[in-house]
Amino acid sequence: MVDRLSDEGAAPMLLTFRLDGEAFAFPVTRVHEILDPIPYTPVPNASAFAPGVINVRGIVVPLVDIRHRLLMSPAAETETSRIIVFEVDIAGTRQKLAFRADSVEQVLEGVSDKIEPLPELGAVWPRRYVQGALRHEDELIVLLDSHELFAPSQDTSEAA
Amino acid sequence: MIEQAKEAFVIEAEELLNDLEGTILGLEDDASPARIDEVFRALHTVKGSGAMFAHTALSRFTHHVENAFDLVRSGQLEVTAELIDLSLKSRDVMAQFLDQGGDGPESEALLASSEAVSLIDGLSNLTGTSKQQISSDTASPATPKDTKNTSEQFEVIFKPDGGALKNGMRPDLLLAELSELGSCEVNYLTSDIPPLGDLDPKCAYMGWKIAITTSAGRQAIEDVFIFADDADLKIQASKALAPAEASPPAPENSGAKPKKPDAVKSKSAKADTRSESIRVASSRLDEMMDALGELVIAQARLDSVASDIGHQTLDNVVEEVQRLVTSLRDATLSIRMVPVDTVFGKFKRVVRDLSVDLGKNVNLVLEGGQTEVDKNIIDRISEPLVHMIRNSIDHGLEKPETRATNGKTEQGTIWLSARQEGGEILIAIEDDGNGLDTQAIRARAIDRGLIEADDDHTESALHQLIFEPGFSTAATVSAVSGRGVGMDAVRTTIDDLGGQVTVLSKPGKGSRVTLRLPVTMAIIDGLRVRLGSRVFVIPLASVEECVEMAIDEHARGSGRRILQIRDETVPYLNLDTLFGIETKKSGQQRVVIVRVDGARAGLVVDDILGQSQTVIKSLSAYHRDIPGLGGATILGDGSVALILDVSTLVRWAETDLARSKQMVA
Repeated sequence: MVDRLSDEGAAPMLLTFRLDGEAFAFPVTRVHEILDPIPYTPVPNASAFAPGVINVRGIVVPLVDIRHRLLMSPAAETETSRIIVFEVDIAGTRQKLAFRADSVEQVLEGVSDKIEPLPELGAVWPRRYVQGALRHEDELIVLLDSHELFAPSQDTSEAA
Repeated sequence: MIEQAKEAFVIEAEELLNDLEGTILGLEDDASPARIDEVFRALHTVKGSGAMFAHTALSRFTHHVENAFDLVRSGQLEVTAELIDLSLKSRDVMAQFLDQGGDGPESEALLASSEAVSLIDGLSNLTGTSKQQISSDTASPATPKDTKNTSEQFEVIFKPDGGALKNGMRPDLLLAELSELGSCEVNYLTSDIPPLGDLDPKCAYMGWKIAITTSAGRQAIEDVFIFADDADLKIQASKALAPAEASPPAPENSGAKPKKPDAVKSKSAKADTRSESIRVASSRLDEMMDALGELVIAQARLDSVASDIGHQTLDNVVEEVQRLVTSLRDATLSIRMVPVDTVFGKFKRVVRDLSVDLGKNVNLVLEGGQTEVDKNIIDRISEPLVHMIRNSIDHGLEKPETRATNGKTEQGTIWLSARQEGGEILIAIEDDGNGLDTQAIRARAIDRGLIEADDDHTESALHQLIFEPGFSTAATVSAVSGRGVGMDAVRTTIDDLGGQVTVLSKPGKGSRVTLRLPVTMAIIDGLRVRLGSRVFVIPLASVEECVEMAIDEHARGSGRRILQIRDETVPYLNLDTLFGIETKKSGQQRVVIVRVDGARAGLVVDDILGQSQTVIKSLSAYHRDIPGLGGATILGDGSVALILDVSTLVRWAETDLARSKQMVA
């Protein structure tokens, strides 16, 4: 599980953000930019995981709902909501996607040696989307597996 | 610098090989000296530049083909079907060499491959008596001065043009090539070399005087210098060492003179037409297209800002900018246009090879090759076209015997034509074969559950079923076709390009498949429509008309979604229910009438907002497979609007899933 980190360099910097009060993280190298919330265009008959598209500097970028895959219920936009534009490799080509977080916290450096497997107990998120976890300032931060989490849906149960 | 030159060589060689195919095929009908010269020149260039740009294996292989055509040129070898066949296959091997990107273990392996060796053997067999002379390939310079009794001595004076070195001429290579013809005695002519102070190192000052003894004749010597047009070249026969029997070039000491200026003239005429065009990497055109796309979007934004402000002077400027952007768009798009001939040309070969393989006698007629289409589209329709031509030959056209018994000419004909119609290009593949087997299609469709056994379908509706996935009625699976992955792949490609495909067939008379494609797919004219609070874009090319729909039309609630337009009934789709969009059905709705697969259908929308230039952005993997959506675009206010793909939309609406959706609503 943890060995996939090596893809991101020896000492990954992590961007942390919150969903429903929980802290999550992604390697910062994959983060393209962070935007204030903008209205999105819903795509009819799209899966609930990727409900729409937005315009990021002239590029049409899919907006995905990671809350859906993390089994969280939909949440309304708030003052602190941000859109994180992220880069993933899908079928060999690098492309951008965007997702909304309740808030964006900070960038953590030099914490790679603190990453451990997610504790068995108390983990409510589907394990396939989680790469590991680390303790930081008495809080558990969940490191998400971007490859799994953003894989385009093959699952019909995700259809709207 | 050298990398650029190498790239240029590869591009040039690719073009030469492309043209070569057509030229060699043309020899079948017309083996004129001009055509033979053309083949020879192409081969000579590939060989010569190949050796220069690290494609020596290619060069060595090409040498054998060149030799054969050298003999043809001098009248010592006839153009036969065998030679044409060998040449075509050799051309393919040459293309493989080129694909390998230069010298290396791969190209050596290819040169030693059984295919290459058997081609070389076959060519050597043809060139026959002169085999010894040829078989020593360019890698080992030969000195055949004693092998023939027709050796002559020439005095060659060669003085390159001053700018020759800048243009990439390599006198050393020319001299090396010359020395392969026979023993040479080379003297330098240094009289024109200026004092050191005046010497420009980039200029050619030197000349050479070479006494050569060769059996290859004057022509061979001239050929060495074939591309040194501007050089001062004098070739003089000093004396024949032996009686010049059966060697035509020998007696014409002065006769060779008029020949040379002729060749030079035709070449420079060609060079003139070339200088009018420049070669640009298509990636640069893509960049330009992207920038233009951004400009169109920015202009739309400017438009909407200006209309908010409503200032007369500003409006004038905006209007002017719009006009300029439109003409810039048209100019840019036209740069990307290439004649369909570039793809049609290669079908001559496909047809020739297949008709031999399948034992059929086929005549291919090409029409409208000058019709221009966006290069991206050309690149993608080539495969589907090959597939359909194969189908026509394999399934459509009958064997010569069968045709004769049916009172047809033994030779079947395939017409491949292209023409432009508005913003669309129509490409048709027609054959005078047996037509589609309607009964077999019907049986197959029932078998696969596509239609019910008691369904009443018109013939033409049944014919369209050949585009369904996994549909093939070929009784036997041949290497050519019949695997049932054919026509649906064709339709998928055409759908991707925003086009349509239809088939028309008459039993016993033949069939015709028509592709309807947009001329370009980067920027289209779109019709903006409103659905609830959302905006969608319908490609204007598929729109036939817009009509109003009274609210009570909905209220009739008979379940039938049919619209009466003048004396015609047109089925319509409620986009809001198909797309799950809440709309208040207040006021009058409108219906956009589109044409799909040859039939008309209506799309009900809340309002029609207007038309505008639409830059097509493709959808990501998350949304690409949703039926009815062809892409996205960015509107003047910066928001994203989805572009409808009416073909997949209408087809999908006929499926059960979508029907149930409409029922619920």
